[in-house]
Amino acid sequence: METETKLDRVTMPALGKPSKIDIIHATETKLANGIPVYSVNGGTQDVVKIELIFPAGSRQQELPLVADTTNVLLEEGTTKHNSEEIASLLDYYGAFLETSAHHDYATVSLYSLGKHFSKVLPVLEEIVKQPAFAQDEIDVYLTNKKQRFIVEEKKGRVVAARNFPALLFGNNHPYGHTTKIEEFDTIKKENLAAFHKGHYSSNACTIILAGKIKDQVFNSIGDNFGGNDWKTADAQVNGKPAELQPSAEKKHYMPKDKALQSAIRMGRVLFLKNHPDAIPFQILNVILGGYFGSRLMSNIREDKGYTYGISSGVVFLKEAGYFQIASEVGSDVCDKALVEIYKEMDRLCTETIPEAELQLVKNYLRGNVLRSMDGPFALAERFKQVWLHGLDYSYYEKYISTVADITAAQLKDIACKYLQKDSIYELVVGAKKA
Amino acid sequence: MIQFERFTLPNGLKVIVHRDTSTPMACVNILYNVGARDEDPEKTGFAHLFEHLMFGGSVNIADFDNVLQQAGGENNAFTNNDITNYYLTLPATNIEVAFWLESDRMLSLAFSDKSLEVQRSVVIEEYKQSYLNQPYGDVWLELPKLAYKVHPYQWPTIGKELDHIKHAVMGDVKAFFQKFYCPNNAILVVSGNVTLEQVKALCDKWFAPIPAGSPPLRKLPVEPKQTQARKLELERDVPVDAIYKAYHMGARMDQSFYAMELLADILTDGNASRMYIELVKNKKLFSEINAFTFETFDPGLFIISGKLSEGVTLQAADEAIQEELKKVVLAQVKKDEMEKAKNKTESSLIFSEMSILNKAMNLAIFEVLGSADDVNKETDRFMKVTEVDLLVEASRVINENNCSTLYYRSKSKANGN
Repeated sequence: METETKLDRVTMPALGKPSKIDIIHATETKLANGIPVYSVNGGTQDVVKIELIFPAGSRQQELPLVADTTNVLLEEGTTKHNSEEIASLLDYYGAFLETSAHHDYATVSLYSLGKHFSKVLPVLEEIVKQPAFAQDEIDVYLTNKKQRFIVEEKKGRVVAARNFPALLFGNNHPYGHTTKIEEFDTIKKENLAAFHKGHYSSNACTIILAGKIKDQVFNSIGDNFGGNDWKTADAQVNGKPAELQPSAEKKHYMPKDKALQSAIRMGRVLFLKNHPDAIPFQILNVILGGYFGSRLMSNIREDKGYTYGISSGVVFLKEAGYFQIASEVGSDVCDKALVEIYKEMDRLCTETIPEAELQLVKNYLRGNVLRSMDGPFALAERFKQVWLHGLDYSYYEKYISTVADITAAQLKDIACKYLQKDSIYELVVGAKKA
Repeated sequence: MIQFERFTLPNGLKVIVHRDTSTPMACVNILYNVGARDEDPEKTGFAHLFEHLMFGGSVNIADFDNVLQQAGGENNAFTNNDITNYYLTLPATNIEVAFWLESDRMLSLAFSDKSLEVQRSVVIEEYKQSYLNQPYGDVWLELPKLAYKVHPYQWPTIGKELDHIKHAVMGDVKAFFQKFYCPNNAILVVSGNVTLEQVKALCDKWFAPIPAGSPPLRKLPVEPKQTQARKLELERDVPVDAIYKAYHMGARMDQSFYAMELLADILTDGNASRMYIELVKNKKLFSEINAFTFETFDPGLFIISGKLSEGVTLQAADEAIQEELKKVVLAQVKKDEMEKAKNKTESSLIFSEMSILNKAMNLAIFEVLGSADDVNKETDRFMKVTEVDLLVEASRVINENNCSTLYYRSKSKANGN
């Protein structure tokens, strides 16, 4: 009991000296055919992740859904093996594939135990180079995908997420296009094969490797991907130029009968990741809605109890950036929540952020940088996130120094510049107001 | 292989330390041995509501999150039917802040009325978001109720009904804390860039002074063997019909669990799985189908759920599932199916050990299940299951008299036809 009386439980223990953040850089090598390979070697487990990146996103497609469908269908059969055989081969070695298509690019990744890597890599080679795009596989995929699409459409938050980008960019812009149900019926085998030929080729490919990388891993990659057998004469790296056609109206409402909650999306178009305001705005975003202690969470969840969660975020695409707030709030308190959200944006423009809050966010972000660079897979992701935007590791150094040095006055200026109420788009999906 | 060391404080707090110097971070995970199964049937949803209140200030610290964020940390928590688990990660150099925070809320909470009032609303919104305001959301309110008649797994973690949460009062909160939130009902795991000596010293300083409590001995009713098929039909505003079948199976540490997990894998995991090939690809009866277990500590459920393709009746879908399951009972699974399922499991266990958070959580969960040593026996337990074991186990579980079936009908379809 004596120690208990002496123990000071009120004062926070002194923080340790902030450890220096060592950013482990990816090392670059090249395959014989010129494909750059960026690798991050490390970690405690004998695992390898190889990610192939292609300029094969929705920005590069001529018809809706083609980029996405091509990407998924790679796994569904090659000229040598059907979908089941491919899955069996990978299952046998406990390896797994991950495909994803984004706006600006698409990826095909393989995760494997180090000891089996060279045995499963030929499967990756086959699906990337020789997909079959068999009609029955396309049909099964699209039918089921369409059904999932319809089920998802029942969720207010999904409707909001699907329709909000169109307000910012316009429905004809690749970043703003809202998928329509009938688009699932327009995709033909020829579209997929042509898209694959033009975009999944050695002269448009970049490889990122992470995990315990032994020399043998490089040899295997050279064997499977280093040749000129999958080169295409005209790799289409850039999509067609697109024109911004933002909605003239700022406030939008979509009805959803008998919804218990209203889904809210708010935001605006910003700038590219290399813009001088990009890092300061991200810090401002954290204060507004980017962490658990954010102003939106503190006010709308922790003080008012209007929602289970509310957050804001910044999205950087290759040709544009935007900011958005997302939440689902009780239908009866939706108007009140909107008032509070605008109020929080306004406060950032009119009031100076208290020093204690700013210091807290700086400490939190420093911890976050450490967390986001923990382990080889995370480090590979950090590399990718600058490489995709034509940036390099100096971005992270700049980020760390901006977090350390930025002042409340600077953040207020940023808020005034970008969070004016009349610049914000608003979309509510929910029950009709009484 | 996760190496760890352990000790117990005089007040009964069990401590496990896993050192990983490849990271600059540390993770602190505290598991309290209380879940929704320990709730009063008239006050369900309480363990989970309480988890929210654990962030509403402790006796000496007004704002948990605020302090942790100052230390560069991040945290979260979850409640399930069996346990309540709190975890945080932060730069290892700030580890003492985590001890200060976690020990203070184990010592006592602030019990603020405002916090209770707000978190009640937050949980009600969570209830709407997860269960009421999304298609098929109420399946997880209805299916457990059908499958369990006696055992408290019959209600979900969020609670049986909104009213139970609306009516929670401060007296309930205090009593719950007294009963379950004491050092001898908790397991502390510290992983990451820390040493055993460091953790011992910090435990002596921050946790040792907290007095032991007297957590109740758990005496849960045993679910009687189901002897007759159970059926429920619901009609809802969803776009497509769905079917859910729940079969009673063994507890988390029973051999049954390992067999049924492998079976779930063989049936629906991936493009080479049986039901995916047969029911989605070949017969095109389903747009998606999944088999899984809930991983509950007490005897659990083996679930098959599927969304029906256009034009397929629920009855036809049900029969097709049963036909596939019959094959599992009539003949052993093939050697290569078994091998693939085992290899996938082994590999995902290896991948899961890349994160200090996963490792800490797993150590805590196995410790509460019996012994943290078991974390390193998982792979072997899966590897030991033979084709014959699986057949025996599947024969015991897969039987319509042991099954609760839910037909979830689309209202628009029903009216349209």
